[in-house]
Amino acid sequence: MIEIRGLTKSFRQHTVLDHIDLTINKGEVVAVIGSSGAGKSTLLRTINLLEIPDEGIIKFGDLEVDMAKRTKALTLELRKNTAMVFQQFNLFRQKTAIENVMEGLIVVKKMPKEKALHIAKMQLDRVGLSDRIHHYPKQLSGGQQQRVAIARALAMQPKILLFDEPTSALDPELVGEVLDTIRKAAEEGNTMLLVSHEMSFVRKVATRVLFLDQGAIVEDGTPEEVFLNPRSDRTKKFLTNYHGSQEPEFSI
Amino acid sequence: MMPNLFDVELVFELIPKLLKYLPVTIELTVISMLAGLLLGLLLAIIKMKKIPVLYQISVVFISFIRGTPILVQLYLSYAGIPLILKYYNHFHETSYNINSIPAIFYVLLALSLNEAAYNSEVIRAALLSVDKGQTEAAHSLGMTYGQVMRRIVLPEAFIVALPTLGNSLIGLMKGTSLAFVCSVVEMTAQSRILAGNNLRFFESYCALALIYWAMTILIERVIALLEKRFDIDFKSLRKRKGDVILD
Repeated sequence: MIEIRGLTKSFRQHTVLDHIDLTINKGEVVAVIGSSGAGKSTLLRTINLLEIPDEGIIKFGDLEVDMAKRTKALTLELRKNTAMVFQQFNLFRQKTAIENVMEGLIVVKKMPKEKALHIAKMQLDRVGLSDRIHHYPKQLSGGQQQRVAIARALAMQPKILLFDEPTSALDPELVGEVLDTIRKAAEEGNTMLLVSHEMSFVRKVATRVLFLDQGAIVEDGTPEEVFLNPRSDRTKKFLTNYHGSQEPEFSI
Repeated sequence: MMPNLFDVELVFELIPKLLKYLPVTIELTVISMLAGLLLGLLLAIIKMKKIPVLYQISVVFISFIRGTPILVQLYLSYAGIPLILKYYNHFHETSYNINSIPAIFYVLLALSLNEAAYNSEVIRAALLSVDKGQTEAAHSLGMTYGQVMRRIVLPEAFIVALPTLGNSLIGLMKGTSLAFVCSVVEMTAQSRILAGNNLRFFESYCALALIYWAMTILIERVIALLEKRFDIDFKSLRKRKGDVILD
């Protein structure tokens, strides 16, 4: 279980996250939606401390990190509980697909090379890239790169997987393969926090949807609740665009 | 009969005699380069992280090294280090012997510091060229700053910096020819000694020039080979063929 209390982050005068409280249970697939600048990415990036929050408490089971008393050791410990998939894939360019997946296992988890190799092969197989293990990122398509990145994250067996707009940088025709991979990971029972603009995907895969606006969670419920019966006007307005595109442009 | 103004055969006779001192040149080059790389990396990190006090010192240091000729730096090292030692002896009532310091030390010190100052800018630019996404990904896996630096940033920065560092290695190798001002006998000094014996200065210098030229071509070749070795398509091909499983 992941517990977030009073998470706040400002960039100069601008408050991006305003005392966020959030509890995520094991196995939940939580999607975060909202317009750009609402703080979605920042929420993800503060959970693994890539952005340091101004205040708040993050709890992973027994591990509790209070931002006021944060140490380097605690930061590393917290990051070991999370794994992130980035919009721009962020694979290690000088390493092959399999080396990318093995890196964290060897360096962070101190696994012997053979064991790491075995796990990395298995993970790459799961994302359907067993024939690309010795390819370097620049030799792979965007979709393949992102699948390697997902394999890299899954291999770490984190308590939560963080997806930061994983398909936004992809060609439309490559989005499908990545979404399929994420759906598979969700069905396998991984706990996930996902920022995405793929509304129909979110509706299908998420078990819970958050609507973030101006650094606050204004909607929190099942996909049906949020998409069909949003409580706040802000959510309704945001979803009009989405629903608009769902309706047929004409009917006979 | 035309007087024998230029003796071509002598040039080739002198080459082996000069080559006896090639190890000194190589020793000066290799040690100064390694020290210059390490210290240069340190300076680059200090500059990037803007560590107080050290940052200001490094700025002044780099400016000084860039603003003075290497010859003058060698003079300063040769004349200054004994003074420092004398002061140290005086204030700590010790009696370290100045003559026990080998002359090559002064050369190594000056060349290393010189190399560090120039390399630090190259290294800094190379470190900055590694995109932030990769370091973020490494941090998100739970790697420490040192691990990210060693395993992700440095390997890529090294490849970026390689051609420039190759040039700087060539410059350094030729720069060792100034070592004679600290009374170290390497190839250049030896060529003058040989010439002094038979007064065949031009032949001696020709032989010397040919050796430096050949060394430079050799370094260029090695750098080109390394660049090819680090090329991603080349590496990938080798790994797929199974030559190397992982490095």
